[in-house]
Amino acid sequence: MTDTTYSSEENSKPVVTAQKKPGTVLRMLRYSVGKFFSLFLAVLIGMYLVVLIANMGGYVDQIMKAQIRDGIGLQVSMDPELRRRPPEERQQLINELVAVEEHRLGLDKPFIGRSFRFLFNAMTLNLGRAQHLTSDSGSASVRLIILERLPPTLLFMTTASFSLFFISLVFALFLSRNYGSFIDKLVIALSPTSSAPPWFYGIFLLLIFAALLGWLPFGGMVDAPPPEDPIKYALSLGRHLILPVAAWLMSGFFASVYSSRTFFLIFSMEDYVELARAKGLSARDIERRYILRPTLPNIITSFALMLIGLWQGALLTETIFNWPGLGRMLYRAVQTFDTPVIVGSNVIYAYLLAITVFILDFIYALVDPRVRMGSGGPKA
Amino acid sequence: MQKKLLAVIAVIMALAMVLTACEPAAVLEPEKIIETVVETVVETVEVEVPVEVEVVPEVAESTRKGGWFDTIIVIEEPNTDAAITRLEVEEIDIFVYTVSNPESAAKVEAAPNLDSYASSGSYNELSFNTTGPVWENGKLNPFGIAKIREAMNILIDRDYMVQEIVGGLGTPRWTTFNSASNDAAAFAAEIRAIELAYGYNKELAGELIGVEMEALGATLEGGKWTYEGEPVEISVLIRIEDERLQIGDYVSNQLEDIGFTVIRDYKSAADASPIWYSGDPNDGLFHIYTGGWITTVIPRDLGDNFAYFYTDLGLPAPLWMNYENDPEFYDVAEKLAYQDFTSLEERAELIGKALDLAMKDSARLWLYDQNSITPKQTNISAAADLYGNVGGGYLWALTIQRAGEEGGSLTMAMPSILTEPWNPIAGSNWIYDMTLIRGTSESATYPDPFTGLYLPNRIDRAEVVVEEGLPVFQNLDWAELSYAPEILVPEDAWADWDPVEMRFITVGELHAAAVEAAAEDEEAETPGPVTALRKSVAYYQEDLFDVVKWHDGSPFSVGDILMGIILTFDRGKEDSAIYDAAAAPTLRSFLGSFKGVKIISTDPLVIETYSDVYYQDAELNVSTWWPYYDQGPGAWHNLYLGLLAEADHESVFSQAKAAELDVDRLSYIAGPTVEIMKGKLDQWTEEGGMPYEPIFSEFVDEAEVALRLENLTEWYRRYGHFWLGTGPYYLQRAFPVEGTVILNNNPFFPDLSTRWDRFANAPIPVVEVDGSARVTIGDEEVYEVTVTFEGVPYALDDITSVNFLVVDANNQIAHVGKAVGVKDGLFEIVLTPEITGALSAGSNTLEVVVVSNLVAVPVSDGLTFVTVD
Repeated sequence: MTDTTYSSEENSKPVVTAQKKPGTVLRMLRYSVGKFFSLFLAVLIGMYLVVLIANMGGYVDQIMKAQIRDGIGLQVSMDPELRRRPPEERQQLINELVAVEEHRLGLDKPFIGRSFRFLFNAMTLNLGRAQHLTSDSGSASVRLIILERLPPTLLFMTTASFSLFFISLVFALFLSRNYGSFIDKLVIALSPTSSAPPWFYGIFLLLIFAALLGWLPFGGMVDAPPPEDPIKYALSLGRHLILPVAAWLMSGFFASVYSSRTFFLIFSMEDYVELARAKGLSARDIERRYILRPTLPNIITSFALMLIGLWQGALLTETIFNWPGLGRMLYRAVQTFDTPVIVGSNVIYAYLLAITVFILDFIYALVDPRVRMGSGGPKA
Repeated sequence: MQKKLLAVIAVIMALAMVLTACEPAAVLEPEKIIETVVETVVETVEVEVPVEVEVVPEVAESTRKGGWFDTIIVIEEPNTDAAITRLEVEEIDIFVYTVSNPESAAKVEAAPNLDSYASSGSYNELSFNTTGPVWENGKLNPFGIAKIREAMNILIDRDYMVQEIVGGLGTPRWTTFNSASNDAAAFAAEIRAIELAYGYNKELAGELIGVEMEALGATLEGGKWTYEGEPVEISVLIRIEDERLQIGDYVSNQLEDIGFTVIRDYKSAADASPIWYSGDPNDGLFHIYTGGWITTVIPRDLGDNFAYFYTDLGLPAPLWMNYENDPEFYDVAEKLAYQDFTSLEERAELIGKALDLAMKDSARLWLYDQNSITPKQTNISAAADLYGNVGGGYLWALTIQRAGEEGGSLTMAMPSILTEPWNPIAGSNWIYDMTLIRGTSESATYPDPFTGLYLPNRIDRAEVVVEEGLPVFQNLDWAELSYAPEILVPEDAWADWDPVEMRFITVGELHAAAVEAAAEDEEAETPGPVTALRKSVAYYQEDLFDVVKWHDGSPFSVGDILMGIILTFDRGKEDSAIYDAAAAPTLRSFLGSFKGVKIISTDPLVIETYSDVYYQDAELNVSTWWPYYDQGPGAWHNLYLGLLAEADHESVFSQAKAAELDVDRLSYIAGPTVEIMKGKLDQWTEEGGMPYEPIFSEFVDEAEVALRLENLTEWYRRYGHFWLGTGPYYLQRAFPVEGTVILNNNPFFPDLSTRWDRFANAPIPVVEVDGSARVTIGDEEVYEVTVTFEGVPYALDDITSVNFLVVDANNQIAHVGKAVGVKDGLFEIVLTPEITGALSAGSNTLEVVVVSNLVAVPVSDGLTFVTVD
């Protein structure tokens, strides 16, 4: 079954000769429903695994119970007033306080039941209340905890990731045009520097620009106290963004350019590109029509995955720059076994990933004529 | 075209970044900085012999009130190294955290513009599993034998640990007494004797343990202990988060060196807790656990530590429940725990016994007290508690200042801020939040940061009466102690609370009900009049209501005290509109010893309290009822908003109830619950009234209600929150997401800024022993001990004792005595012919331990001398 043919007409535009069949819509629908359910099932299984892992299969209950009893026992026993009470009386008080705390955390119910409750709440996006964490403004609502940390993370990650993505894409294209040049060789030589993570560069940048030169702040999101004037606030924000974004770019730039450049080079050596060259098409036309277009699905995929990756934040980079983002929040949640926050954060990511994968299938079909939905894979 | 466009975009981006980078950091405009200038006037006068006379006028005492700074900016810096770098470049003034990392401490010490305050508080030990010696699984537990545990004391080199593991940031420790404590100071000589007796001696430890192992039936084969053909395995449960990792490895190495096969079980707190704390020690899952403890306030009475750490009277956990003690030790520990003694002499005798017996028991093996530092700029000073340091102390906000400066701003960094919601009743109890909360509040009494004794702040004086025979003793003159054969509780004192009728239940009513109940029960005895073991009377300063104001300008009133008394009961009462199940057990426990409270006079304010709870120090027995709740200060009017919100189940004070009702915990400083409280303020403005009207109306009039409403409304309009205190700083604004808090000087604060300045530095004495290095046996020899602080002789009145120990050539204590005070800063030790005559020829040590009244840290110095015939 051949779905796409490239014509050799004068304008050299690839023409798609789709062989329309009566069952196309039905096939698309069937494919969509199947895909939807398979993704939903994947999310469901994935989320239950998250619940199980976050709770170590129920072992966290034991840990938390021990911690509660330990903490309350210490609290009561260290109280000089209570410390001299008879042991039985102290024990009774401890038991009562332990019961209140265990009830609060739901530990008075079996884990298996609670695990399904966690799953149900997660799948219905009823994020519920955190067990230990609170939002910075004091709310225990998981939704508010996440929403409060989302803007800083989006600001940082979007700026950093978008900059990295587009700059490296443009630069990679430039290098693919100048294959073998000095800059090309330099980028190849420097690409291993990307093995160092952003926080590593962050430390150096902080040392140079904050500690040594004093030009830029050590971290945080804005100056202290935060400026009241919105323009000054924005400027302060921008100033605080420079180093984390620079660290992100330094870490990812060379590897990203190298991989995109290689990718473009591979496509630029395809037979149809050579043919186009032989026909005397301009370099710009060749680049736009014969190189960029076939690479679009890959570019879109990596762009989409980068977009949903923003959701996870960047734990260590956020920590180094004291950036109040989602990464640090998730780390604290893991440290304190705060299952609702862990599950809440993951379920949103899982849904975003599933939706992205779902939508990408359609986008592939739109941007790449070689792809047909529900037809068992691309053919050239 | 595309290229040009890209180039333009790139230029714009670069320019934007450069411009933003060049934008100066937003800093608080320093308000008026008033410098205290020491004027030096040089005056030349003509006389017969021309001389230059330098006249230095006296420095005028500062008239500033409240905190020394106009503004304190608090920022979050979770990374200690980054914080120290920021201190070095003077971006911050103080890092309010207790740093215990030796490398960081060394960095601070090396920086010319930095120094630090030192404190202790955390300490490490080895907890033994004392069950066995043979477990049900057939394995041997050598630590089931007390003599093996005792010998472990000399297998461990505590000095090595302090030097190698914590880089010198610690004090080796042998006993259950914290090195910086009243009791360690009082029993310094006894403790030193223990240190000498249990000094590191690995060879001897191996021998002693070997004897006991053989008695258990174990054999040493090829350098390894075996029991019934199997190697004797010791499971060391090693905590991994801190220096206990190195401790565990060191102890394991030492055990391996004497023939044990060691299993190193590395675990985090969460993983270790189910094994060592809540697990049954008889299961044999561990032999040794690397324990760690924290004391946050200067301990005034550590007598109950023996029961707490060594017997089943301690924690209600299986490990403790399995402790089996020598009956004599148990008896002594119990007497000390329940204060079953009548004099300090009797207590001293019991402690002397307990110290020795605890070493023989050694269910725990104390290793060292960890010291830590709070780094700061050298020109910054503040009262630093011996345990809590700056952040954990109560006086930091009242004392923190930059040398020679009044006003201006201070930038303070902390590892974390605004961790949980702030509300006075059951809000955040994180140390970082509490530091700031304390900066906005005050108490009727403050603990002395160097001795732990309470000092009066808002009260003029107090009386304490205890039942005859109780071991309570007076230290300072503001709390007058007396004894009485019986303390009757007045019938009209308030003993309980009726949440429905909103009135107090008097002692008389409760007593009448008890008599009535006894009358119905033929077997029950008619109860006698209500008595208490302790009565305290707090006399507040006469101008209290004139000078003390809440941050919103509302004068302090008896209503604030009344609210505190009511809330002691109301939240734990099931019929209350604000009933909280989490508060009920604590209330029940409180009512078990509380006997009554009575407001004797409202102006001046005098409050009498009756209770069966008493403490050894008279000053600690004064109940003030100052409205500083568990987690912060509260005026009756701002608390009322929270009470209304809780009664309507819109938002509540405690975390437990918030989870139960699926609502948010009240935060008085930011977030959605502030809006809820604003709604309640509007409701109150509209409807009028007052909280707990039946009782409140007896103490608070309509004019006060109107004034408080007006002030609180204006406060919210200006600052957007409801956090009020009476402390030296008020909360100007909290920026939760940005991690910044701004505190401003409280313009209503009545006291001079200089009031607590004497606590800027701990007066830890510097001791030096001087005298002959050669002593003839049988001759008298005199040694001088100089005691100074910052180069000035220590006043004799401020010295509790100067004891000395003569340690002979065999490392045994040959004599213990007291030095004699000659004058301020100078003591004399006389080694009489009898003392020197008892020594044999060789090298001896004269050790001196100085204990000051002003600071609970014993200081010692030594001198080696040679005895010759």
